Amino acid sequence: MLKTDRQVLTQSGPVDVRSLYDKYAGMLLGYVFEIVRDRKLAEECLVHVFCELSAAFGEENSDGPQNWFQLQRFAKGKLQAFTAVAGNGAAAEGIAMHHSNDQHLAALSAEQKRVFHDIYYHGKSVGLLAAELNRTEEFIRKTLKEAFAILRKSGEN
Amino acid sequence: MVKINEYIESGVLEAYVLGSASEAETRELLYLKAKHPQVSEALRALETDLEHIAQKMAITPPPGTWTKIEANINEIIKARESDALTIDMPYRDQPRESSRSRKSSQFVEVEAESGHMRIRKIWRWIFAGVFLLGKIFLACAIYFYIENRHNEKEIEILKTELRNSRGK
Repeated sequence: MLKTDRQVLTQSGPVDVRSLYDKYAGMLLGYVFEIVRDRKLAEECLVHVFCELSAAFGEENSDGPQNWFQLQRFAKGKLQAFTAVAGNGAAAEGIAMHHSNDQHLAALSAEQKRVFHDIYYHGKSVGLLAAELNRTEEFIRKTLKEAFAILRKSGEN
Repeated sequence: MVKINEYIESGVLEAYVLGSASEAETRELLYLKAKHPQVSEALRALETDLEHIAQKMAITPPPGTWTKIEANINEIIKARESDALTIDMPYRDQPRESSRSRKSSQFVEVEAESGHMRIRKIWRWIFAGVFLLGKIFLACAIYFYIENRHNEKEIEILKTELRNSRGK
């Protein structure tokens, strides 16, 4: 039997939109908030992403995101235009800008924080960041790796 | 083995997980992931790390957010369903204007494709050539037709003269 639009939009795929919301909405709101730095706007973006998500589930041959990694990538794609604008502002204001998540990224050095923040939240490429910071791409990748290792350790403690 | 460990330690995996790896890096990584289980394992671990980081930075959405999302999804569904109905019954007697005004509140008007065609410029010369050849053939046909009639008349005159000369 053919599924109706309503069924397709809310239930298709092994993971439905509601269960993704229950599991990841808070994480996604925290992620979007770090990009837009405006609570109300972040909430609007959250609604927008989940509406887009329902459409993605409805598309033929598409199950939509199934886990946080995929959901975060999906959201990043949908918010790309916004990220670009916010990213430019952040780049102009430099490292001093990164303070809102200090308690979570406190263990990182200023440079590690900058690299992690610009790549994770603003979707900057390694090449672009290397040019901005006047460093090699290898250095940026190493710094990113170090940042990950530190965050992993601080998470374990 | 050493090379794979070096690769894992290079930070490319972290860049990929955060979505900043280049296309070439992504291609190489996916190839190595399929070939070396260590790469696949390291990627899985990084994805888990990323989830933990996101959990730490999570903000609980205000109550009513899901209701808002659900309402928006229902709007999308309604719009799709009304679209489907319009396609199914295009010639039925319906209040078209009201449905159009209802639709206009839900959709942004986008200009449809016009009957305008795009043709390569070379066809202009081909069409001109065909037109010119057509004219030449027409001129030739008229010329040979007149020529033929003229010859026929001359033959007729010659035949008459020949008949007259035989009669004498």
